[in-house]
Parts: sequence; structure tokens; C-alpha cells
Amino acid sequence: MRIKDKRWIRIRIYVTGICFLLVLGVIFLRAYQLQIVEGSKLSSLAKEGYTGRVIFTTQRGSIFDRNGKELAVSIEVGSVYSYPKMVRDKTRTAALIASALDIDKGDILKKLQSSRSFVWIKRKVTPDEIKRVRELNLTGIELTKESRRYYPSMETGAHVIGFASQDNKGIEGIELHHNWYLEGQEIRLNRIHDALGRSLIFDGPKTENHDPYDLILTLDKDISYKAQRALRKAVQRSGAGSGVCIVMRPRTGEILAMAVVPEFNPNIFWRFRPYEWRNRAVTDCFEPGSTLKAFLLAAALEDGVITPETVLNCERGEYAIGDYVIHDRRPFGMLPVKEIIRFSSNIGAIKIGQRLGAKRFHYYLQRFGFGERTGIDFPGERKGTLKSIKNTSLLGQNTLYFGQGMSASLIQLAMAFGAIANGGHLMRPYLVKSIVDQRGEVIREFYPSVRRDIIKPETAKEVRRILEGVVRKGGTAPKAAIKGYPVAGKTGTAQKVDPIKKTYSNKDFVAFFGGFAPSDSPAIVILVALDKPQGKPYGGIVAAPVFSDVGGWTLNHLNVTPAFPPATARHERAGQRNFSYPAEKDKAMVVLHPDLPGTIPDVKGLAVREVLRKAKRLGLKVIVKGSGLAVEQSPAPGTRLRKHRLLTVTFRPPC
Amino acid sequence: MFDRRLIHNFDWILLGLLILIGFMSVFNLYSAAHSIRSMGGSQIYVKQICWYAIGFLILFLMTTFDYHILERFAYPLFFISLIFLVVVLKIGKVTHGSQRWLSFGYFYVQPSEIVKISLVIVLAKYFSEAEKMGDYRLRELLRPFILIAIPFMLIVYEPDLGTALILLIVSFSIIIFVNVNWKSILIFLSTAVLAAPLFWITLQEYQKKRIITFLSPDLDPLGAAYHVTQSKIAIGSGLFRGKGFLKGTQTRLHFLPEQHTDFSFSVLAEEWGFAGSAILLFLYLFLILWCLNIAKNSKDKFGTLIVVGIVASIFWHLTINVSMVTGLLPVVGIPLVLFSYGGSSVISTMAAMGLIMNVSMRRFIFQK
Repeated sequence: MRIKDKRWIRIRIYVTGICFLLVLGVIFLRAYQLQIVEGSKLSSLAKEGYTGRVIFTTQRGSIFDRNGKELAVSIEVGSVYSYPKMVRDKTRTAALIASALDIDKGDILKKLQSSRSFVWIKRKVTPDEIKRVRELNLTGIELTKESRRYYPSMETGAHVIGFASQDNKGIEGIELHHNWYLEGQEIRLNRIHDALGRSLIFDGPKTENHDPYDLILTLDKDISYKAQRALRKAVQRSGAGSGVCIVMRPRTGEILAMAVVPEFNPNIFWRFRPYEWRNRAVTDCFEPGSTLKAFLLAAALEDGVITPETVLNCERGEYAIGDYVIHDRRPFGMLPVKEIIRFSSNIGAIKIGQRLGAKRFHYYLQRFGFGERTGIDFPGERKGTLKSIKNTSLLGQNTLYFGQGMSASLIQLAMAFGAIANGGHLMRPYLVKSIVDQRGEVIREFYPSVRRDIIKPETAKEVRRILEGVVRKGGTAPKAAIKGYPVAGKTGTAQKVDPIKKTYSNKDFVAFFGGFAPSDSPAIVILVALDKPQGKPYGGIVAAPVFSDVGGWTLNHLNVTPAFPPATARHERAGQRNFSYPAEKDKAMVVLHPDLPGTIPDVKGLAVREVLRKAKRLGLKVIVKGSGLAVEQSPAPGTRLRKHRLLTVTFRPPC
Repeated sequence: MFDRRLIHNFDWILLGLLILIGFMSVFNLYSAAHSIRSMGGSQIYVKQICWYAIGFLILFLMTTFDYHILERFAYPLFFISLIFLVVVLKIGKVTHGSQRWLSFGYFYVQPSEIVKISLVIVLAKYFSEAEKMGDYRLRELLRPFILIAIPFMLIVYEPDLGTALILLIVSFSIIIFVNVNWKSILIFLSTAVLAAPLFWITLQEYQKKRIITFLSPDLDPLGAAYHVTQSKIAIGSGLFRGKGFLKGTQTRLHFLPEQHTDFSFSVLAEEWGFAGSAILLFLYLFLILWCLNIAKNSKDKFGTLIVVGIVASIFWHLTINVSMVTGLLPVVGIPLVLFSYGGSSVISTMAAMGLIMNVSMRRFIFQK
């Protein structure tokens, strides 16, 4: 070759080399882009591609009432699913499946033709259908066992229990609130599948692995059923739009029943509207109306600004505040405080309030828990509104004395009544007593808790005595009376605010009755509210009979001894049986077993928890033998404390 | 007869590069085949070892004669390979809807692989015989165009558009290398575009359908587009260090299609990460630059053009395949030479590399 050619070739080769280098540089950059720049994104895509949630479901935990009766259970049923990529003749398969399961052919075909690796054909099928599908023996069509949620008590307690979806997810109520406990480990299982969707590896749960737990509620199924039925009847009779009936144990805050109308059947919840699922006792707020006078009374008595006998001028039914005139339903003249409450005089309430002062009243309302969530173990609780004094007009301050200008949820109201019933302690309401695992061992237990002490026990007792008058003849609610038991309560008839006119409506009311029985030592608090009753809207007329009906039945059901034998003896016994919250118990102990300072206390008759608490305070260590109540102790009470650091206590279950 | 200088000039670096790439290929195929072992694909890496063994043997055979002999036999060789192409259309084995394999009892041969080499030789001969350097006129290009058009059309008929495309690109690379008149190329291209409809008419219905699917992969969404997406995911999820040998999830779980052939690069990228793909790309880069150096040092134009043609073929395979699996180009069935599984591909490439070796060894020997 000539030199010239040689040079020519060399230049061409160099040019070619540079071109190749440039192109390969682009490819190199592309690899860099995919693997380094977009790497993490593509990695997660990869993971998404081959992992999936497990479809095998462990059975959801059950829900029981306080007596162990079933409220929600899971039963195993079959479900049909498909790996569409493995189905060969899609049209034929769809046709066969459609006839076996009695569903639309087109829908199935659409599912089988989808590009997804896994589709449900039909879930929760009957045993017959399972048999038919199994006999078809189609490739790519599979059967699995799934659990189906069943609520044996249907409408009873439905608003509390809520319901779970087909995917074993709690959607409403306790099912939602305690979903984590109920659903167990199932959603924590991941599967790895190949491109055809066949599962290869199940990635077991690594954290928080647990079997589904069962819940034991504070609800009593029988009381709930009774409350539901009574409320349903009352709503129908009064033509109300909705209603709520709460039955609660005042000493502990346990909810025994929470009936709500409109009702729904959780077994077929999808046929009902969401507003029918709503637990109005917790999620809805109302103006409390005259029921608030009970707390006004309590506050005024506690502050000592009045006595039950203090006589106040009720201005013959007309009382001007600024340009506004307040009316009573009936004109009253001079009335003692107890009668003001009994007749529910608004002007009388203002007079009591004026003695107490708006600031103090506002303070007491806050203490009673208004404007603050009760902390109930239920989703979606509202806290109502309680405006500060500064933002309230003079008129507003005065109308607040009879319950206008604020709003409260019904559970708040029930708990406030509870505080009057139990001697002044505001309790936290609760619905779940305990959570137990599949072997029946308690995983978590919920105890009564006192949110705060509001009024002295004597004040509470005084209030209860005055409220007894409401139920007596001549009061606003004689229909609330329960035969054989002393009863106390307060009615309320609150005008609703017209949402359009923003003024109080003349035809829409909420009728309340909140009360407790037996009134000298209340075992239950019942709050009844009926929204928009037609006809006579008064709480004493429409709500009080529900109280009487449910209350009488419940007291009987709970074996609360009627008014005879004498009240004092009953008091003691009832007190012992329901001995639950520590404050009162400690006080009682001091009376029964006066502990001398510096000596070993007498612990006999105390529960383990109490003994431990007491011993801790004194710096003693305790050896616990047996369970139940303390029957024996060593060293004996009264022994010098210094010498001993160890206390052996024998417990025995109470007979 | 056997010159000692030949051994002295033996290109150990080229051999070393080929061995390295071969090792990576077999390792990678072991992993790719691992996941399809249950489907009876376990022998793939063993077979690839065999192909490489035969390949190296042929590589040595290709160095034993002086490549100038090829100048003499260029046309007969080309003609024979064309006959193979015609035969394959008559009696070839149909796989995946196309007829590209000739059965020889125990093994299959892809005649289009042979044509790739023989066409390079023929073109090299034609352009090296010309007195001038560059500036070819249209008239002078007529012959090469016909030489390219015949095998191209035959391969399209199979149809194997990927190979046909490579054939075309490689040929054009040679033509551009020898610097033809740009005007001539433009005229040729326009004639080709005009001739396309005529060519289209001669195709069978099923061939047309295959070509349409090939040209617009969107019509087959779960096919090509799905493949590319899965490939990109596999490559990207390898990150820098990779998931480790036999640990690629996308490979293992069959999300990655055609793991041992067209998408073998993705397997490597997933399991060895950016580090692994960079190493392979550098090996190829080194190989290409080394061969270009051989082309530069060749003592005559024929040798230069043969090497340039073969290097262009490797370069375009690499570029198109990697661009395809990384989603830069649409999916065309082009394997990564020397790395993907394939007997015909490995052996013919090794034969071609033998030719380069041949040119390299004889760069100092003057014959005439």
C-alpha cells in the first residue's frame, strides 16, 4: 500500500473508533441511569412485581359480651379464585363457572381476560357451590377456605360492634378500633410469586406475630337487646328520627348497652346506608337542654351558694335579660331549689346560676367533662362545644344555665350523670373489658379509671335526692319511675337549631332523660335521647318511659335487690358487690380497719391488687398465696412495721 | 510452510479477551438456565461451553491459512452461503414462526450467520480491488448494493428482521468507511424506499403479519412492551453491586423473558449490578478498540476492511442488544454476540474473530 493510503486508512480508523466510543458511552450512561439513578425506583417496582399480600386468611378473633355470649364470630367458608394466565379456554371456563356459581358470565370472562396474575371469582360461597366447582376441575381455577364474619345478635349492639369487610378488615365500631387484635397475623404474611402468579415462598411474619385475639366487651347482650327493643318501640311511637339509649355502670364506666336507632344488620351491612351504621351515642352532638340543670345544681351545692331549701323568685314565668325575655313553661312564684329542679324552671335555673356565677358554672361544666372527649375506646368520638366565657354574651351566659348554647355528645352526658351517681367521680367509659388469646389467657385487661373527682360524695348524694323529686308525682318525669326501686333523673327538651335560619326551631326538639337507679346507691345510669320526636316532644313523656322499661328490666337482670329489705343494709351489700373504684374503697377501708401508723396493716378482705398497693406504700414486700380476697396474713396486723419487710398473705376466692 | 513468526505474532490479548467474555457468558448462562432447570433447560450452559470449545477450534483453524486466499474464494463462498439461505427457506425448521434453522441431524445451523461473514469478505474484496480511496459513484456502488440486497431479502423472507437489519447496518458501515459519495447513498436510499412497496407485495400474508408486529410492538402490549419493562426492572434493581450470583429475583421468578438469549445482559446486570455490566461493556469496548488497532496495522486494504466489517458487526450487535434491553430501542430479536446463548452465533463469531486473528498475525508478512 502506498503511504498516502496508509494515512487515509489510519484517519478513517480513528474516526470510526471515536464514533464507536461515543455510542458505547451512551449505552454506558444508560446503564448508569437505570442502575444507579433510577435503581431504587426500579428495585421497588421489582419488589412490587413479585411480592403480594397473602390471600390465606386466618380466622378473625371473636367478640363476646361480658357474660361470654357471642357477638361476632368467624365461620369458615369457601372462596373461588383464579390465576388467569393459566386458564386456557377462557370463554368455556367462564361459562362453566358462571353456571356453577350462578353469577354473570360476562363478569367472569372479563376477570379471566385481565392481565392480573390473581383474581377472585366469587368469595364466600356455599358448600354446594364449592362441590360443583371442585367437580368441574378446571385448570387455573382454585378454591380456598376463607372466613366469613357472622353477627348472631344482628341489630343488637351492632353500632358498638361495627363490622368487618370481606378482607377481614374492621370497617366500623369495635371491629375497626381493635382491628389489630382481631385480625391477627394474616396481613403480615407476604408471598413471593413468579411471573405466572404462582406462589413460591411465603415470607412469614417477622414482627408483631400473633394469633387473632378475642375481645370481651363490657356490653351485656341481654340488656343491649332489651334497650334496643325498648328504644325501637319509643322511636316508632314518638315518630322520632333517631334515638339513643345508653346503659352504664356508674362505678366503673363500663357500658352495658348502647342502643341506637336507626338500626342496621351487620350481617348484610352493605344494604344499609352509612348514616344507619353511625353510633350516634358517640359521634353526634346535641344541645343538652334542661338535663344540664342537674349539673348546675351539683355545682351550686358544691360551692355552697344554695341549699336545697333556698327559695328563689321565679318571676311568674317571665324574666328579662337585656332585651330578651326568658319564659317558663308554667309560671312559678317563689320556689325552693329542689322544686326548681323538679319542675325544671328555666328562670329558677338562671337564679341559681346567678348565685353561682357564669365563671364557676363554666368551670364545673368543664370538670364534668363537657367540651372534652371521654376517651371511650371507640372510633370517631366528638367532643362537643363549650364556648369560653369571654366569647359568650350576657344572654348566652344565662341561657347556658338551662342548657342552651353548647353541645355535648350523649356519652359525655351519660358520664356526667354517672359522676353524680357514683359520688362525684368522672369515669372514663369503656367498651372492651379484656383481650384474650386463643388459649383464653388475658393479653390485655382494661380497668375502670377515674378521670377526676368533681364533687364531694355528700353533694352528689344531695343532688340525687333532689333529682328523685323529678320522678315523683308532680315532677317532669313520673313516667320514669321503676317499681320497687328509688329512681332519680333529669329530663331535658332541647330546641334544635334550624340549620337554615340559625335560630331555635319551634318544631324540632331533642327529648332527653338521664337518670340512675337505685338512686340511693346507683347500680346503673341510663341516658335516653330521642331526636325530633313528633307530637309532644317532652323528655318526661317520650324518653322517660324507655328509662323505666329498660331500667326495671336491667336492675332485675343484674340482681339488684329492690327497696326492701331496709335501704341501709342493702347499701352495704350493694356497695360491697360493686366495690370497684379505688377511691371509695380506700376510704371504706380506713373506716373498717383503722391502720395504726408504723404497724403492719390489716389487709383481710382486700383483693391482691389492693394489698400490693398498700404494701408498696409502706415499703413491704408481699408473698401472695392463692387468689381472691385476703383471708390470712403474717405477721398479724398491728405488729411493728420496722421489724418486718415481708408480708405473707393468703387469698381465697370469695364464696 | 508454517512460519515461526506467526506464533511470535500470535495475538494473545485478543485471545484473552475472548476467553474472558466466554467465561462471563457461561457463568451468566448457568444462572439464567438455573431458573429454567425445571423446564429442562439445564443443559444450556454445558452446551455453550461446547460451542465455545468448537468456536476456539475454528478460531485456530481460521488462523492457519493466509487470509489472502479468501480474496480469491470470496465469490464462491458468498454464493454457497446464499444457497444455504435459499435452502433454509425450503426445508428449514420453523421455530417461533420463522424459518431460520437448517437441521444437520444433531445440531442446527443458522445460514444467516454464515452470510454475515461471507458478505463482509465479498465487500472487502470489492472495495479493496478498487484503485481509488473513497468517492465512489453510484455506478460503482451498484454491485455492492446487489450483493447486499440478495441475502437481505432472503433473510427478510424467513423472516428474521433482526439479522437482516444487522446485515444492512454492517454493510453500510463498510460502505461509509470506504467513504462513498453522500449523494450516491441518498439516491440509493430513496430507491430502496420506493422499492419497498413492490417488495411488500411479494410477501406472504403471514410474513406481512410478522413484520407488522415487529415494526409496531405496541400492537402486542403483553409481548414486547412487557418484556422491555421487565428487563428494565431487572437491570435497574441490580443497583451498583447486584443481587448476587443466582440471586436475581426477576431472573429466578421468570419475570425476565428470553433470559439466555436476547435478554442475557439483563441477567448479568441484575445479578452483578452496575459493576458487572460496566465490566462486560469495558471488555467489549477493549475488544472493539483492539480489533480496530489490528485493522489500522493491517498491511493491506483487504485485511483492514475484513476487520472493520467484523468489528462493525460486533459493535452493532452490542449496541442494538443493550439498547434494546435497556429500553432505548424497540425490541428486535438481536442477541448479544459471544455473550448470549446460541451455537451458530458463537461459532460464526469465533470464526470471524479467527479471521481478525489471521489478519493480526500476518501484519508483517509481505506476500507479493
